[in-house]
Amino acid sequence: MAREQEITKVFVEVADSLIDDFDLIDFLQQLSERCVGLLDVAACGVLLADEHDVLQVLAASDEDTRLLELFALQHDQGPCVECYRSGEPRTNINLDRPSAAQAWPQFTPAARHSGFLSTNAIPMRLRGKVIGALGLFQTTDHALSDADTALAQALADVATIAILQQRTLAHSETERGQLQYALTSRIVLEQVKGILAERWHVTTDEAFAAFRGYARAHHHQLSRLARMIADGEFDTAQIPRAAPHHPRR
Amino acid sequence: MAEVLRLLQLDDGFDSAAEVAARAAELLGVDGLTVSLATGGERAELMWCTDEAAGRFEDLQFTLGEGPGPDAVRTGAMVLVPDLARVGRGRWPALSIESVGLAARAVFCFPMGIGAIRVGVLAVVRRTTGPLTDGQVGDAQVLAHALTGRALGSVVPGMDGTVPADTADTLLHAVVHQATGMVSVQLGVPLPQALLRLRAHAYSSGRPLTDVSRDVVARRLRLDLNGNGSPSPVSDKD
Repeated sequence: MAREQEITKVFVEVADSLIDDFDLIDFLQQLSERCVGLLDVAACGVLLADEHDVLQVLAASDEDTRLLELFALQHDQGPCVECYRSGEPRTNINLDRPSAAQAWPQFTPAARHSGFLSTNAIPMRLRGKVIGALGLFQTTDHALSDADTALAQALADVATIAILQQRTLAHSETERGQLQYALTSRIVLEQVKGILAERWHVTTDEAFAAFRGYARAHHHQLSRLARMIADGEFDTAQIPRAAPHHPRR
Repeated sequence: MAEVLRLLQLDDGFDSAAEVAARAAELLGVDGLTVSLATGGERAELMWCTDEAAGRFEDLQFTLGEGPGPDAVRTGAMVLVPDLARVGRGRWPALSIESVGLAARAVFCFPMGIGAIRVGVLAVVRRTTGPLTDGQVGDAQVLAHALTGRALGSVVPGMDGTVPADTADTLLHAVVHQATGMVSVQLGVPLPQALLRLRAHAYSSGRPLTDVSRDVVARRLRLDLNGNGSPSPVSDKD
């Protein structure tokens, strides 16, 4: 399929999901996966600032804990923080350059250790304010073109719209309420990963994969189901268990 | 807001609760505020209350079980109501009837909690209508978060004073949330107690909460009911 067609297809799918009663975290995760495909990068994450102006991971192209932690490392240093503070994209940063290690002494080696060679950060903007950033990692030093950067910005804008579109149980009409709901949902999801991992004697990554598979297959909203599990209102025996010691991808 | 946060740290067991609450309301630039702790089920316990107007509104919404406060607790998202008279009848039907005539004209509720851990709610009340500024909303959120950490350290009997106030972002790491979920299943305790066990263990072993949490998630450490840790019998090598 030609790239233009692929892009069009993704945006049509995105528009479709936003009309439905969609799950934000699941939506952003799928959006991250599409970013990886469309922009030809290795990993993508959506980060949202909390009330302390600390960036928190809402979703990533791969829920692998290592990748999540790499995004989480950017709470106080890294291109995403700088992008969030300045509101300007930071593109094509080569992590092998000494300047990168100097600027971000914890983030840079961790990213290199995960096999990433370059990174990009695109601001998530809302009416002149920056609310978070889209982080992109590459395993090559292949530079993003101007067209790629513009596309990445469009995808970051879609993520912002999705956050504001989510239907919260509180009909939270304010934007800040929507942002807080999104952050809370993410935390509940992490707590539930731990609950399921312990119940099933598997890793948190395996627990999440089984949980998400079940939610998708039964058209449950991920965040809503997670809240029910955390509150003890859903019998998790209904979910087919993750197989322990599942071979890692 | 830094001043209120300092007061919170000095305040021992909330002896001077009324004073701290009044100072917080003054710094936030509002007429009154309340802090209610969710005590499980529908009930909430009033911990801070600056004045009658704020107290009566809080009482009413938790008695009726509906309103911005209960919604904020349930969803973990703030609920801002700049003009109570203009809220649609269907949203909180009983409250809309019962709150007529109360001095509170605008109410802003900020949840206290961490994900599925619901600690309570900070409610800010005004006798006049109108929205809060961005700065006021931000300050109220920071205060609610500080109160969360504070309340989580003091709600379990026998654990008072042994748990240090964690810095804002230690309580916000994904690995800490995951470990909280795991410990709650291991010990058969609710999430708030599980987090407290983790914090107590981190404190007594002199290690950062995130390190202890990582060990729990990797199954290198298992907490027992006394909060002591032992190396996990099954170690997950990867």
